[in-house]
Amino acid sequence: MDVILNLLPHLVNGLALGLLFALIALGFMLIVGVMELINLAHGSLFALGAYFAMSIIDPNLSYFGSFGDWYSALPLALRYVVALALAPALVALVGMGLEICMRRTYGKKAEYGLLLTYGAALVIEETIRITWGSAEQVMPIPDAVSGAFFAGGMIYSNYRFYAAFFALFMIIVVWLFLEKTPYGATIKAGAHDSEMVRALGVNLTRLRLLVFGLGASLSGIAGIILTPIWGLRPHVGVDVVIPAFLIIVVGGIGSFWGAVIAGVMVGLVVAFSGAYVSEWSMMSMYLLLIVVVTFRTRGLFGKKSALEN
Amino acid sequence: MRNFTSKLMTGAATFAVVAAIATGSVPATAKPLLIGLTSDASGQYANSGASDRRGMLMAIEEFNAKGGVMGREIKTIHIDTETTPATGSRVAERMITREKVGFMIGAVSSGVANAISQVAQKYGVVYLNTNSSSPTESGKNCHRVKFVWDGNGKNFAQAAVQNAVNKYGKKWLLMTNDYVWGHNTSKATRQLAEAAGAKIIDEIMIPQGTRDFSSALLKIQQASPKVIAAAVGGDDQKAMRTQISQLDMGAKYAWINNQQDWPDVYGLPAKNLFGVFGTTWYYKFDLPGVEEFNAKYAKMYPDTKMKVPGNVFFNGYWATRSLLEAIEAAGTTENHAVIKQLENLRIPAATRMQHDDAFMNPNTHQMQQTIYLATANLASKDKDDMFQIVAHASPAAVNDASSNETCKLESMADTPKYTP
Repeated sequence: MDVILNLLPHLVNGLALGLLFALIALGFMLIVGVMELINLAHGSLFALGAYFAMSIIDPNLSYFGSFGDWYSALPLALRYVVALALAPALVALVGMGLEICMRRTYGKKAEYGLLLTYGAALVIEETIRITWGSAEQVMPIPDAVSGAFFAGGMIYSNYRFYAAFFALFMIIVVWLFLEKTPYGATIKAGAHDSEMVRALGVNLTRLRLLVFGLGASLSGIAGIILTPIWGLRPHVGVDVVIPAFLIIVVGGIGSFWGAVIAGVMVGLVVAFSGAYVSEWSMMSMYLLLIVVVTFRTRGLFGKKSALEN
Repeated sequence: MRNFTSKLMTGAATFAVVAAIATGSVPATAKPLLIGLTSDASGQYANSGASDRRGMLMAIEEFNAKGGVMGREIKTIHIDTETTPATGSRVAERMITREKVGFMIGAVSSGVANAISQVAQKYGVVYLNTNSSSPTESGKNCHRVKFVWDGNGKNFAQAAVQNAVNKYGKKWLLMTNDYVWGHNTSKATRQLAEAAGAKIIDEIMIPQGTRDFSSALLKIQQASPKVIAAAVGGDDQKAMRTQISQLDMGAKYAWINNQQDWPDVYGLPAKNLFGVFGTTWYYKFDLPGVEEFNAKYAKMYPDTKMKVPGNVFFNGYWATRSLLEAIEAAGTTENHAVIKQLENLRIPAATRMQHDDAFMNPNTHQMQQTIYLATANLASKDKDDMFQIVAHASPAAVNDASSNETCKLESMADTPKYTP
């Protein structure tokens, strides 16, 4: 019984962490799945979302006179909600701009796309540094989701559970969008066979723009949700790209639920290793990757390629 | 005849100029002295590296404003060491062999400092470890060419441990960043705590790059120690502090954070600055020269986010200034002469803006200085005035005796001569 009581907090923590990892991977998964492009700027877009949100929540509006005073006097929760809606939209615009730059690389070797997104990542990170400075920043969060609560003799962070539930909400929203709307159906069809989709009269250029914008905005949302836990600094995105990539490989490239389940698995592995073999906690997700890829090369839910048939 | 006289005069003047250049008495034509700045600009200690560099540049600016060192303008080259030891080695090798630097300054990560100093020793280039504080830097990894400017983990632990055992209790838990500084600092803390009667119930390793501390924090709650001694630095520490603060665990346990670098906490809310921690300097000291020093910083760096100098800046500044003063005192840039000067360095408290005289330990090459214990200044309305100093200890009180035993400096004869 004691063993179970000892394990239970880590299980709960692992599940919460896993949902956050899944949220990180969502935007990355969408772009890889549909466009077969590894977006190395994913982490920078993650950071950009957080910085946009911070500026919307706590802006310097001294130049705007009475409007500035009025906005600053709004409740933090309201400004936070505005940020949660507006910042991902701004990141989506940046993502769309990046997609337009990408167009000349389509149909060429994958390295072109990799290099371009890597370059974009560096440019975005440096732009953040110039605009917001390199010092650590703190994103304010509403009182309703801050603080802690007691359960079973342990203290848990309110914010972490809010973040996990928000991640779950976003996973469901994205799934509903992909499964239950005509846009989602088109995106999925584009992922399966883009040439056929084009032949059916779908504007593939616009579809790619939409997908990149959506993927970028999901990266931005993940940044807004995660940085109150991880802290906010220009290079925070570096911490994101590798786990995101790892999760979609473990889950199977292009598989929505594969990414979600892999995210939860990574969360559980990191949580338990962090508690019981802490020196292995960073390594544990890579060990998981090795185990999965050894026994199932295309990931847990990856589809067989034509070459395997 | 007039033509002959003119030629004679011209020849004499030319000879005089050549002779003056050869004897080094014409400063205007002297070759600039190139100093390699080996501070991190990316990775875990990017922020601290930038602060470190600002300190070095301010000292260099002061010297250049009065004509350089020995009449030689001081120029700098900076290459990012990326908070990665392998990069540190590569950067040092390149700086010495390709850029032909005269001296190298800068480090925050102990792993990087150790890597740089091995290369520096191979060529005989004097290297200043400004801000890395693993006890091994002036212990088993010491070198004749390396001088360590920061207080080390053992100095800080000595200042804090006995007091914490008496005040908070004997049930201790260690949190250790899983690399050389973390290991050695926790090792020193463990020795001192156990000697003071404490029992270490667990040690949680924190790999570098950890962003999620939830598992470790749950484990701490399950172990319920009285005191937690954390040797976690850089970005890892920022994330850790944020998450501890979110759980309101800052007040629940007594936290001893071995050392707290200014760039790691600047801008954080006061409630994130729980516990006590060590430092070597604070900009609010009521000591001679501090106000002028702060003003000079503000004038030179009006646009930097950090509006006041911190301990990392202070160490970067003093290391560089002391090196340049040592060169002037030696009257040469020849490494053996400069090393001898630095080994005998003494700086009065009033000059160094600390409470005790500081001096270089000639056996370990570590600067012996006042160590301060600080905590959050919760009453402050000034966002820069984040610390309050709760105690300070003299160099003798926090002496790291073990380094004297473990440090085996290479002999001068085994240190190649190098004259930039």
